[in-house]
Amino acid sequence: MKKRKWTAVRILIILFLLVSVVFPIAGVMAQISLNDVKKIMVSGQLGEMLFHSLVVTGISTFISVSLAFLLAWCLNRCNIRAKGVFSVLFTIPMLIPSVSHGTGLVLLFGDNGIITNLLAMCIPRFKVNLYGYFGMIFGWVLYSFPVAFLMLNDSFQYEDYTTYEAAQVLGLGKLEQFRTIMLPNLRKTLISTVFATFTLIFTDYGVPLVVGGKVMTLSLYMYREVVGLLDFSKGAIIGILLLILAIAAFVIDLRNEENANTSTVTRQYVVTQNRKRDVAAYVICCFTVVVIGLPIAAFAFLSVVKQYPIDLSFSLDNIYEAFGLGVGQYLENSLAMALGTAFVGVVVIYFTAYLTARSKKTWTTMTLHLISMISLAIPGIVLGLSYVLFFRSTFFYGTIAILILVNTVHFFASPYLMAYNSLNKFNRNLEDVSDTLGISRMHMLLDVYLPCTQKTIIEMFSYIFVNCMVTISAVSFLANFKDMPLALLIPRFDSQSLIEATAFIALVILAVNGIMKLAVFVLERHVKDPAEPNR
Amino acid sequence: MHAVSIHLGVGMEKKEQTIKLKVRNIQKLYDDKIILKDISFDVMEGEFLAILGLSGCGKTTLLRILIGLEKQDKGSIYKDEKEISLLPPDQRGMGIVFQNYALFPNMTVLSNVEYALKRRKETKKTARDTALRVLEQLGMSEHLDKKPRQLSGGQQQRVAIARTLAMNPDIILLDEPISALDVTNREIMKRELKEIQKKFHTTMIFITHEQEEAFYLADRIMVMSEGTIEQLDTPDQIFRHPANSYVKEFVVAHLEQKYQSLLKCTGRLDNEPKRVE
Repeated sequence: MKKRKWTAVRILIILFLLVSVVFPIAGVMAQISLNDVKKIMVSGQLGEMLFHSLVVTGISTFISVSLAFLLAWCLNRCNIRAKGVFSVLFTIPMLIPSVSHGTGLVLLFGDNGIITNLLAMCIPRFKVNLYGYFGMIFGWVLYSFPVAFLMLNDSFQYEDYTTYEAAQVLGLGKLEQFRTIMLPNLRKTLISTVFATFTLIFTDYGVPLVVGGKVMTLSLYMYREVVGLLDFSKGAIIGILLLILAIAAFVIDLRNEENANTSTVTRQYVVTQNRKRDVAAYVICCFTVVVIGLPIAAFAFLSVVKQYPIDLSFSLDNIYEAFGLGVGQYLENSLAMALGTAFVGVVVIYFTAYLTARSKKTWTTMTLHLISMISLAIPGIVLGLSYVLFFRSTFFYGTIAILILVNTVHFFASPYLMAYNSLNKFNRNLEDVSDTLGISRMHMLLDVYLPCTQKTIIEMFSYIFVNCMVTISAVSFLANFKDMPLALLIPRFDSQSLIEATAFIALVILAVNGIMKLAVFVLERHVKDPAEPNR
Repeated sequence: MHAVSIHLGVGMEKKEQTIKLKVRNIQKLYDDKIILKDISFDVMEGEFLAILGLSGCGKTTLLRILIGLEKQDKGSIYKDEKEISLLPPDQRGMGIVFQNYALFPNMTVLSNVEYALKRRKETKKTARDTALRVLEQLGMSEHLDKKPRQLSGGQQQRVAIARTLAMNPDIILLDEPISALDVTNREIMKRELKEIQKKFHTTMIFITHEQEEAFYLADRIMVMSEGTIEQLDTPDQIFRHPANSYVKEFVVAHLEQKYQSLLKCTGRLDNEPKRVE
C-alpha cells in the first residue's frame, strides 16, 4: 500500500511537469504557421540571424571559457593571497541582469561614455565602435564568465596531485603535463562548461538589445517579434530553433562521458614557488576585478551625479526620479516573485530530488529525473512564450503565480542537481534500514535528510532567489504592467533613454542580491553539520 | 510445533530443534535472468546459519527476499509456521544489519538505537531503557553521545547491531558482517557475534563470501552458486563430505590451501576446522 502511495505521488509530479513543461512546449510547435516559415526562409533573414548568432556566441563562449579557465588556474595553481575574496568578486556579474552588462558598457564606452570622454581628452576624436560584435562579445563575456568560472574552479579543486608527481618523475614538461594530465582530467567539466556557457549566451537577448547595434540575433529577433509586434508565430519558429540547438547541446553534454581518473588516493595539488607566475596571476586577477568593477562604479556614479556629463555635482535627483518612475513598486514585485519562487521552488524541487535520489530506479523515477534535467535545456524565452500560448485564456494568466511557476520550471535543473547530488551521497541502505525498522519515508525525510542537507537547501534558495532577481527571459512575455519585476524595467527604460534610471536599477538589484549572498554566508557559518560531533 | 533432528556445529550433540524459518521454492528473475532457482531450506530456532557464495550467486537477493526488501517471483516463507512472504519488512519480526551499517549520520549512538523504538510508539522511557540496555550489553555505554562519524568501523557495526537487537526481532540477518572490518577488528567481531548470539538467543542468518568466516561462526553453512543451493550442512560435514565438485573446489580445497598460512599467521589453530586425514 505504502509503495502504491509513493508511486501515486511520483505520477502526480510527472503530471505537474507535463502540464508545466511538456504541454506548453508542444503548444509552441502547434503555433507555427508554414507560411511564416516560408517567409522567413525566403527573405534570407533567418540564415543571416543564425549566422550572426552562432559566430558571436561562439567567439564569446571561447573567450569566456578561456578567461574562466585562466582565473581558475590563477586561484588554484598559484600562490596568491585573498583567493576567497577573488573568487567571490569574480561572481559578482551574476548578480545583475544580462541587459545591465549592455547598459554598463554603454555608460563606459558609448558615444558619450565615461571612458570615451576621458580618453577623448588625451586622444582627440577617440571613439570606440561599441555597437555590434564588439559590444556583444564584451557584454556576453562579462555576463557568462562567472558561470564558467564556478564550474571550472570546482573541478580544479578535485585534481589529484599524484599524477603530476609521477609526471615530474618521468620528466614531462609543463606543457606536456597540461596536455596529458590536466586537459583529460578537466575534459568533462570543460565540455559541460562550454555547452552551458554557449546556451546561456545563445538564448540571451539582453546584451544585444542594448549593444547589438544593427546585428540581429535569433533571441533578440524572437523578443522583438513577440513583445514588440505580438507575432507569436514568428516567435515560435525562432523559439523552436533555439530549443533544438539548446537540446542538441544538452544531449551532447549528456553523452559526454566521465573519463577522469578514478584513483582512490588523491592528494591535494601542491603549488610550487614561482614568483613571476604569481605576479602574473595577481595582475590577471586584479585586472579582471577592475573590469568587473568599472560598470558597477559607472552605475553608482551615474546614480549620484546631477546630470552626466553636463553637471557632475552630487545629487540624489536621479534616485528620486527613479522612485518616481515606480522603482519601489517594481522592486516589491521582484522581491515577492523571487521569495515566492525560492520558497515554492525549494519545496517542489527538493521533494522531487528526494523521490528520484532515494527510491528504487523504476520507470517513474527515471522519467522524473529526465524531465527535471531537461528544463536545463529549455531557453527561458522559449519557456515564457510557451506559457503565453498555453495559459493565455486561463485565470492563471497575468497573476504573480504564473511568474512563480515559470521561474520554478526555468530554474529547476540546477537546484535539482544540488539536492539530487547531496541526497545521493547518503548510504544506499538507509531506506532498507528504515523499511525494516518501520520508519516511514516521510519521517526519514524530516528526521534524517532535512537536518543533514540544510546547507544544500540554503544554497538552493539563494540560487533561485538571485536568478529570479536578474531574470529577464521567461518572465518577459508573461509579466504585465502591474506585476512586472524590476529587471524588466531596464529594457523598457533603456528604450526611453532613461539611462540614469537603468543604472540605478542595476545597482538596486546588485544590492539586494549582495545582501542575499551575505545572509547566506552568515547563515551557513551558523548552520553546523549535524553529522559532526556535538560540542 | 514441527520438530526435526539435525546436526549442529562441530562437537555438538544431535538434538531436537524447532524450525524457526521455512523457505520454500523461492524463485527470482531479473529481466529474464534467473537469480534464484527454486530455493528451499529450513532454519532452526537459535541457529547461526551462514550463506556462503561468491558475489553474484544470489545470496544477497535471497537475504533481501527473506526480510521483504525484495519480492520473490515464486515461493513462500514461513516463520513459526505462519506465512510471512506477503508482509512488509517491518512486520516480519526480523532485523537486518548491513555491511555498511547505514547508521543515521545526524544522530548520536543513543538516538540511532532509540529512534525506531520511539517511532514504534513506545514511550520515551521504555525506548530509552531498551536502547541503554542493549548498548550496554554490546559494550557501547561510553560512546552514547558520539556521532557515527566519530566511531571506528567495529563500533559502528555494534551500533547497527544494537539498533536491530533493540527491536527484539526473532531473526537477525547480517550482510557480510566481517568483510568491511580491518584484520584486528575481524577477530574481535567474530568472537562478539558468537557471544551476542548466545546472549540474546536469536536466530541469525548471515551471508559471506569468505569460507573461514562461515566455518568459524556458523552452526550450519549453505553453499550457494548461480542461484542454487550446492550443499547445506554443518561445517564438519561439508568439510568431510563435500556434496559435489563445486563445494570441494570452492570450500575444501580453498581451506586446505589456506590452512598452512593460517596456522603460521594467526596462531589460532583451535578455531579452524580439523583437517581431514
